[in-house]
Amino acid sequence: MKRIILGLFFLWACILQANAQKDSIITRSTLYGIGHTNILDTYLSPMEYTGAELRILRENMRKTKYKDGKISRQSMFQAHISMLGNKAGTGSEFYFLANWNLAYHYQFILGENLKLLAGPNLDLNGGMIYNQRNSNNPVNAKTYANLDASGMAIYQFRIKDHPFVLRYQLNVPLIGLMFSPEYGQPYYEMSISKDFGKNICFTSLHNQPAIRQFLTLDFSIKKTNLRLGYVCDIQQAKVNHLKSHAWSHAFMIGFVKHFHLVNPYK
Amino acid sequence: MKKKIFLYLLSLCLFSSCITEDIHDNTPQGNFDALWQAIDTKYCFLDYKHEEYGLDWDEVYRRYSNRLTDDMTKKQLFQVLAEMLEELRDGHVNLVSAHEISQYREWYDQYPTNFIDTIQRIYLGKDYKTTAGIKYQVLEDNIGYIYYGSFSNAIGESNLDEVLNELSICDGLILDIRNNGGGLLTMSETLAARFTNERVLTGYLRYKTGPGHNDFSSPEPVYVEPATDRVRWQKPVAVLTNRHAFSSANDFANKMRQMPNAILIGDKTGGGSGLPFSSELPNGWSIRFSASPIYDPEMNHLEFGIEPDIKVNMTSEDMQRGIDTIIETARIQLKKK
Repeated sequence: MKRIILGLFFLWACILQANAQKDSIITRSTLYGIGHTNILDTYLSPMEYTGAELRILRENMRKTKYKDGKISRQSMFQAHISMLGNKAGTGSEFYFLANWNLAYHYQFILGENLKLLAGPNLDLNGGMIYNQRNSNNPVNAKTYANLDASGMAIYQFRIKDHPFVLRYQLNVPLIGLMFSPEYGQPYYEMSISKDFGKNICFTSLHNQPAIRQFLTLDFSIKKTNLRLGYVCDIQQAKVNHLKSHAWSHAFMIGFVKHFHLVNPYK
Repeated sequence: MKKKIFLYLLSLCLFSSCITEDIHDNTPQGNFDALWQAIDTKYCFLDYKHEEYGLDWDEVYRRYSNRLTDDMTKKQLFQVLAEMLEELRDGHVNLVSAHEISQYREWYDQYPTNFIDTIQRIYLGKDYKTTAGIKYQVLEDNIGYIYYGSFSNAIGESNLDEVLNELSICDGLILDIRNNGGGLLTMSETLAARFTNERVLTGYLRYKTGPGHNDFSSPEPVYVEPATDRVRWQKPVAVLTNRHAFSSANDFANKMRQMPNAILIGDKTGGGSGLPFSSELPNGWSIRFSASPIYDPEMNHLEFGIEPDIKVNMTSEDMQRGIDTIIETARIQLKKK
């Protein structure tokens, strides 16, 4: 099963990369935000840790040549760090996660101002949680890859003469692979056994009910395109008798740029 | 259509199942239950200690929960929890609060100390050398002496090269780990790798794969690989131990037992063969406990210590004369080889 999923990921990336359109408008945005995170990782502690987070999100969207331009490609990278404390105020954790998504959406035009997009999304994650007072279990790596179902709704409207774009997106992991130590497995044991087979776990909706939601509003002030955003990032898993969750809510602000790529050799 | 999509999205948001842990209340009973459960599900020696001395963790719950009251103070609660943990007879088990750290000390309190630093100073003299937490000297009868007091002090490969090169003129080596309370397990490997020319099986490691008392992984063999392109000791070596040689020092004694030119002299080690993990209680107190047992090559537990090849205690007559009986025994044994 694990090999089949790995093969699917590879095939997916190859096929979709080949279909990127060379001449198209690219929408690129960079958002910065602050938010609140709630972390649970029972490998480190049965207690929840909460605190502030800093987040950056970069996104590229462009149309592809596939299906007469009705398929768009979205590449999104986000990274966030958090310093967290337990409820009693006696322990602290540091949490970092980087997440890269590559999605291809088919566009359904539902009217002059509304369109829906739906498609698969490759979702790669890498990070760690560090507990500052633990002995031989001070850190747990967060590494997982998913094939998501991704959907998006884009609504364009005007208030007086000012154009606005409202967008909602959600990504739901359907199947994936996740690294996890076993219940009481020290990382020291992994270093001597060098056998990580039992640490790669199959995940799906039953043991990884996760969801990422994005709500953004684009508008212009003079010639500057701005974007306000809200990210609801719910990452959860239950593998190897270990439970984990990372619930983040962040408010973002940043800039949007539109580029038109031209091939000078055509 | 729009309404259906909206309802679908809303249901996804509302009904995504949350993964949470059942957390006990921050009350005396809640903290007691959290501690008892953490040990019940994660501690690795419950069945072994039941066989060794009849530890019954369910009976422990009944006996100590009777001492709880709703209005007890933090210090009173700490006392009850600390005494409950002492039932485990494990130096790796601690309860840590802002006002106190509980510690089981009988593993060395009830035994001769077998190490007196003022007598050790006589052997080291004034011109001993020190590097990376190691003290070393050439004794009068051309026996090298190394004292390594804590495996928390990391030794570099270059440090070891220098020390062993310096002592290479000696006829034998005394490696004294008495009163070494442990530290980094990797230091135990680094040091042991200097005493073998071949890969040596030194034991096995297991860990818990689930909350059941018997949920363990299959034993993972642990080897010591010879240090390549480094100075390796080829002459006899005597490792000195006492009851205060614990945890990584206990592991080092086990590793050295498997080495061809090594002999263990002194008192039984203190044990502590469970790799400790940490957790915490609802009131924020931290706990440490043995989570992953290490065995010898015959799959024997090492939790309660390792018997030396030559058991010898420091005698009061020798101590009065400033003589370390264990060092003297080691010198005699090394000269014989």
